[in-house]
Amino acid sequence: MNEILSFWAQWLRPSAGLPTVQWSLLLAVAAMAGYLCQRHTGLPKVVGYSLVGTAAGLAGFSGAVWPLQGIGLFLLELGISIVLFECGGRIPLRWFRHNPMVLVQSIAESALTYFAVYWVLVWLDMPAHVAGPLALVALAASPAVLTRVVADTRAAGPVTERAIVLATLSTLYALTLGSARAEQINRQSITLLDTMYPVVVVLGVSIIVAAVLSLVLRMALRFMSPTSENTSMLLLALIAAATAVAAHMGGSAPLAALLGGMLLKQLNPRPWAWPRQLGNASSLLTMLMFVLVSTVAAQADWSGPVAGVVLALIAVRLVAKAVGVGLGNVGSGASWRQALWVGCAMTPMSSIALLIASQFVVASPSTGHLIARVALPAILLMEVLGAVIATVAIYRAGESSKPWAPLSRGGNGDRSES
Amino acid sequence: MSLEAFTHSEPLTLGVELELQLVNTHDYDLAPYAEDMLRLMHKVPLPGSVVPEMTNSMIEISTGICHSASEVLGQLSPIRDALVKSADKLNIAVVGGGTHPFQQWHERRIYDKPRFQELSQLYGYLSKQFTIFGQHVHIGCPDADAALLMLHRMSRYIPHFIALSASSPYVQGQDTAFDSARLNSVFAFPLSGRAPFALTWDDFTAYFNKMARTGVVKSMKDFYWDIRPKPEFGTIEIRVFDTPLTIERAAALAGFVQSLGAWFLAEQPFMPQEDDYLVYTYNRFQACRFGMDAVYVDPATGSHMPLRDHIRMTMDQIAGHAAQQGASNALHMLCNEAEAGQNDARWLRERQREEQLLAEVSRRAALRFRG
Repeated sequence: MNEILSFWAQWLRPSAGLPTVQWSLLLAVAAMAGYLCQRHTGLPKVVGYSLVGTAAGLAGFSGAVWPLQGIGLFLLELGISIVLFECGGRIPLRWFRHNPMVLVQSIAESALTYFAVYWVLVWLDMPAHVAGPLALVALAASPAVLTRVVADTRAAGPVTERAIVLATLSTLYALTLGSARAEQINRQSITLLDTMYPVVVVLGVSIIVAAVLSLVLRMALRFMSPTSENTSMLLLALIAAATAVAAHMGGSAPLAALLGGMLLKQLNPRPWAWPRQLGNASSLLTMLMFVLVSTVAAQADWSGPVAGVVLALIAVRLVAKAVGVGLGNVGSGASWRQALWVGCAMTPMSSIALLIASQFVVASPSTGHLIARVALPAILLMEVLGAVIATVAIYRAGESSKPWAPLSRGGNGDRSES
Repeated sequence: MSLEAFTHSEPLTLGVELELQLVNTHDYDLAPYAEDMLRLMHKVPLPGSVVPEMTNSMIEISTGICHSASEVLGQLSPIRDALVKSADKLNIAVVGGGTHPFQQWHERRIYDKPRFQELSQLYGYLSKQFTIFGQHVHIGCPDADAALLMLHRMSRYIPHFIALSASSPYVQGQDTAFDSARLNSVFAFPLSGRAPFALTWDDFTAYFNKMARTGVVKSMKDFYWDIRPKPEFGTIEIRVFDTPLTIERAAALAGFVQSLGAWFLAEQPFMPQEDDYLVYTYNRFQACRFGMDAVYVDPATGSHMPLRDHIRMTMDQIAGHAAQQGASNALHMLCNEAEAGQNDARWLRERQREEQLLAEVSRRAALRFRG
């Protein structure tokens, strides 16, 4: 692969640089794979994107470096931020007042996931300073994968909505604690103040950026229609600016976007019409995000002993999330059957987990290497497998607006591409 | 299958059914939460009932047997409060109105119940387009013949009912220019429109038996008429109302029906004629299209007059009976709004003019329903 690329680099000297050509072609292949995957298997397009990224990563594609940095890191953060901003806007705080059990359910599943994964990894002789960060990585469900699955299956309903909300909240905890833990990873003596300080900084900066973002948008929405194309562009541009600023100031860009979405929903309870307007630009960014994640994750060092730990982590995480959702389900207004499918829909792991893992690697290359060795294969597996499980959960919950059938046999393939 | 016997009911008793929209609180599109709402509502002891409807973003509530408009309101209020509480728990909202302003019919899912699945098989896309929301008012009749007499007398007031309840100006994101576009969807069904002109139960039974013999109908449920007899309740059921945006208006409309019924029974003011139906469809169209600004053609005299004038005239005629039934306040409210040309369709259009966003109109309507 590298010989081909080096020959190509000498033969072709494009104006925007070779990486641009490589990435453009990779995305073109991913777009085709996503389409064919959905058309012939009924699985969501994100599975196709991830498989193409995996193949490129395994083949030694050099366009994505690990740990993430520069424009690659920014694009990943931007993609996550856009998804999280929209997901944050799906969380009206008044819901927790009327149904506090949803918050209990979220805390139960996140806490159980963290402690279960931590204990199992320690039991498998993993050092505590590696097991802790890995448990934080495992905490984050992927609203990005889930929202793509929902879009592809055109799903709506209680399981879909609650899975998105719980996945978003788990992301909130994982980003806050993960960013703070990354700050502490090199410190020897940990006092309570030492523990709290990074959390306060990450949260504080993210909240400030989120507040500015939401206030500016609130102001704009006083005279701009949320259905206008220009409002969507304004939104994308402001999220991009906030993404760049938040990370630079010591906060977390995705966290700022998520909190920004939640704050804006509080300040502006009017309906959110713009997700339909965001259109192809955000879809392209999201696709880039999935390809990037799988390309990077596929570059992990694969070995037999690591595979065992990875599978244990995945299995424990799956069970812990399902049990946590079940435990918190009492009095939350959902049936047990729905709780089961919500738990399954929360299995995907993707970009946010990768971002948190990347933070650990940057903060401490030695410990980070041990974390990445387990985290990257787990993320890769759960990006693909998680998307499939989430799809099955949504179909089984009866919340898809079309039946599960490969579109070529269903005879309505073109209509699904709206 | 033969027509069941007409059960005895206390004359002028009322029963009200309201079909309601379930919407999400994110973009205020219809949300498939009927099953969840039913599960939560099942735990609350309430008068009347809460049942599923054709698609799973709809729910139907109904009162028990009531004797007055205020009793209707008294029963609807706790049901509404429980609905709102359950909806808050599920992070959705409940909304009145005859149509959801911007839902796409093809996204709807048929509620998983044998009858709805059968209807879906028979009617295809029409069943999903039947995601429309109406109010049905039952009124108790002394006997079967009196029920048919009341049915055909009541038919003269169908335009009044339509204009006063109209709340479906928007369909699939567009202003239809109708105040009640909902009834156009009902018209697509083969057995919709007016009931056959039969003034005795024997004649009506003969008609039903002929229809049943053709295999087209099996029970009264297969008729989608504007008004139909409901023999098992001993009532006639008026089905042209759009679901109003508030339960107060729903109760007031029931009071109007009851007052008309009381007038018919006490004074026998006119005998219905087959020729009344010559102008029926025209009057119905006028009310659907123009609401309070419609023209009304009097079936007896053929004279044309503004519908709102005829509404006021009718309400003056029945004021004494309304007072006896405790419906004076209800009629007063409806009459004032009719004079001002106000109905829920106009309220919705005014909100859209201010907001320029139909989703926001739905949110405001949801707030209004909360009371």
